[in-house]
Amino acid sequence: MILLNGIILGLLFGWLLARRNNRKYAVPELKREWLVWAAFAPQFLAFYYNPTRQNIDETLASAILILSQAVLLIFVWNNRQHAGLLVLGFGLLLNLLVITANGGWMPILPDTVHLLRPDAAPGSWEVGARLGFGKDIVLNASETRLWWLSDRFFKPAWIFAPAAFSLGDVFISLGAFLFLTALGMEGQIYSIHNNSQGDLYAT
Amino acid sequence: MSHKINSLKFAAGKFNFSHIRLIIMLVTLILLVLGSGAPEIGSGGGVG
Repeated sequence: MILLNGIILGLLFGWLLARRNNRKYAVPELKREWLVWAAFAPQFLAFYYNPTRQNIDETLASAILILSQAVLLIFVWNNRQHAGLLVLGFGLLLNLLVITANGGWMPILPDTVHLLRPDAAPGSWEVGARLGFGKDIVLNASETRLWWLSDRFFKPAWIFAPAAFSLGDVFISLGAFLFLTALGMEGQIYSIHNNSQGDLYAT
Repeated sequence: MSHKINSLKFAAGKFNFSHIRLIIMLVTLILLVLGSGAPEIGSGGGVG
């Protein structure tokens, strides 16, 4: 939810702004949208879809993560005229940097894993190994490159669900929020017309 | 009258198309955000 919050709030703020200013909510033509779908598909198989993620080799999964995020970065660059997407792209770049520097996985501290999964069975995770089927690897701070970009922030359980997230994730969520909010100020202003029968209508 | 119906049909078509475009853009943005981010969700958590 930490990432989707930016989308939900951005859509809400953008829609309210559009209504307040008597505008249509703008829907821009994004360039090369297919890049996002093509980049996410292998991630879906490697990290989200249970029947396939169990059978994908870890080396392949980490390669998928790096390559797909590189493709997403190309999409963002193609749409850099949207300031919100530039902010999102900066967050993506930060995540890609720390993931690449740590062998293709997002590092997370053992202490953070304890906070996230206090009820985890002993031996269900270990330092130096991938955490479940996700994008993270458990590493001590001394073994982590660019530790300040790792999943080091913790969102407690009382806000939807506990989660660990990175500085890059913050920029990604903020960028999505700014992008969707700005669309509420970019749409056409509604015009009121009078037809031949004297009825009023808006376009 | 037929002019009015035609205007309504045009408005309905425009309404649908813009909403389909909005949904496609939102789904693209959701995929972009999920693909770009790497948050780790704890017990009982959902996606992203």
